[in-house]
Amino acid sequence: MTTTLAANRPAYDGKALDLTGKSGARAFRNTLATVLIVLCFLIALVPLLWILWTVVSKGYHLLLDANWWSQSQRGITVRRVGGGAYHAIMGTLIMSLLCALIAVPIAVMGAVYLVEYGKGTKAAKVVSFMIDILTGVPSIVAALFVYAVWITVLGFNRVGFAVSLALVLLMLPVVLRSTEEMLKLVPDELREAAYALGVPKWKTILKIVVPTAFGGIITGVMLGLARVMGETAPLLILVGYSKNINTNPFDGFMGALPTMINQDRTELALQPAADRVWAAALTLILLVLLLNILARTIARFSTIKSK
Amino acid sequence: MSVNRLLRVGTVAVASLGVLALSACGSDPEPSGSSNPSSSGSTSASGGDCPKGTLNAEGSTAQKNAIEEVIAKYNEKCADVTVNYNPTGSGAGIKQFNASQVDFAGSDSALKTVATDGGETEAAAAAKRCQGSPALNLPMVIGPITVAYNVDGLDKLVLDGPTAAKIFQGTIKAWNDPAIAKLNAGAKLPSAPIAVFFRSDESGTTENFAKYLSAAGGGAWTGKPAKKWTGTGAGKEKSAGVAEGVKSTKNSITYVEWSYAIDNKLGIAQIDTGAGPVELTADSASKALAAAKPAGTGSDLALKLDYATKAPGAYPIILATYEIACSKGLSAEKTALVKSFLSYFASADGQGALTDLHYAPLPEELRTKVDAAIQSIS
Repeated sequence: MTTTLAANRPAYDGKALDLTGKSGARAFRNTLATVLIVLCFLIALVPLLWILWTVVSKGYHLLLDANWWSQSQRGITVRRVGGGAYHAIMGTLIMSLLCALIAVPIAVMGAVYLVEYGKGTKAAKVVSFMIDILTGVPSIVAALFVYAVWITVLGFNRVGFAVSLALVLLMLPVVLRSTEEMLKLVPDELREAAYALGVPKWKTILKIVVPTAFGGIITGVMLGLARVMGETAPLLILVGYSKNINTNPFDGFMGALPTMINQDRTELALQPAADRVWAAALTLILLVLLLNILARTIARFSTIKSK
Repeated sequence: MSVNRLLRVGTVAVASLGVLALSACGSDPEPSGSSNPSSSGSTSASGGDCPKGTLNAEGSTAQKNAIEEVIAKYNEKCADVTVNYNPTGSGAGIKQFNASQVDFAGSDSALKTVATDGGETEAAAAAKRCQGSPALNLPMVIGPITVAYNVDGLDKLVLDGPTAAKIFQGTIKAWNDPAIAKLNAGAKLPSAPIAVFFRSDESGTTENFAKYLSAAGGGAWTGKPAKKWTGTGAGKEKSAGVAEGVKSTKNSITYVEWSYAIDNKLGIAQIDTGAGPVELTADSASKALAAAKPAGTGSDLALKLDYATKAPGAYPIILATYEIACSKGLSAEKTALVKSFLSYFASADGQGALTDLHYAPLPEELRTKVDAAIQSIS
């Protein structure tokens, strides 16, 4: 496939000057490949659109209700309509933000070390390798690890903060890698110019390198957050689901959107419960979408200009 | 550059403002009471004191709907108590209870007093968690298990123990089998094969149903009652799965909790215990429970159900789910909360709320015993 493509490139470019003639076979192959590729793209699009359509069409009407955004599910059973997802949205935001609060400084400083200080050293290679491994750790393993440390060894209760800790393990490699790539993109000339003016290294990093890459770093953070928000395994293992509003991540059960979906998943024969499941799913998708859009916007307005 | 910077700062500011706005606005929970305002009149002061605080509980999925309803009702009375219940399964509930992660547990079976793997028994571990005092098994929710079917034109189906056992064992394969025809004289039975669905996940419902088949099946059921299914059929996940399976498959049959059979509009078989066919009602299920003997002593109310009961009008396939709570050893605050909530659960009011959800209320005699046990918690 790829070879056909590569071979066809010139033929395609030359299409405007079809006077050269005798490219019928090549033109045909070109069309064939184009059709195939577009077809594959469409096939890949089918599940995405299908999911989006299903979730939106089944879940949107609850989201139009202001209560959905301002009330919890306290006192609402699967047979009753009403209530909202406020408790779950709050729980998801609190746990994710707490996670970001811990993960982002570590990730950014780790990336700064890898790019600015540790380049080529053995330590950097080890760190880099470890981050690669961490990238591949499934969320359930991260959750069980935190369970072992937080509950079995330290003897604490299941709380929202434990979830944040597990999410840190998942978010850290994402943010660190993207930050590293961004820092690498900062032209060395900028650093050299700063050094030439007698600026110390730490100040160069703080005032030149990081601000230049700032947009990219924020994008990475947003994408990391989006990845972490939909995680379910840590929520199932490390905190109990609560229908009530709990804004204290250090005490008690806490609601979250994925566990809210899970809670009523078995009651789909009952309309109020089924509606809430779809609406919660849509809310989660919207939340992640919002973060992605935010990330894109920030990235657009603050890319490193190479002029 | 400076324009970019401005935009960048602006976006970040807007983003954080958005988050702040969401976190600041409308933190109102649902006003206490159910969603329809018409039922808000019943905030009588009956039923004593209301402490303040949060109770966390976890366990059986079979009682999820029951306990959620009771929590909602309880909150109409005691608005300052928050009760969380996580339906993660009986085994998980007991584990979390023994690890002091929750204040009480819900379970489909009483705490085991015999260790299966040679280690510490559940009861011993629970006593350790309760600072040396035994944990109580409080039967609280009676969930009848239906034999639910989907056959066109068959409005009424009667089965007895041996026939049911043979169907679920796989020795009776077609609907017009003579054994079924004999119990259903005059009914139009199709010649189609019987599609059996079972719970693929480990379930207390499976265990109790298998206990019934083994007790009342007259030797037709060969498996040992366990949380894992040993009979024939196709596996589906959870109660919702088997109910959905029967709903969407013609000529199929399964065992499932009452509420699922009703919600999915499935046919429910009457059970002939030897004293005539018994239709499942809250009353007939309660009668079977009244025939149960206590397995424990003193304030331990673990039940020994009689699945082969021939008591007239008693529906024999029932599942008793327990709340497992410390008799002593919790902090004063938690003790007050547990007592307050469980007393309401065991009250006539609390039990009455369950009938609408297709659970059976505790028989009065047992209810008073459970209540006495709860009052003894200190």
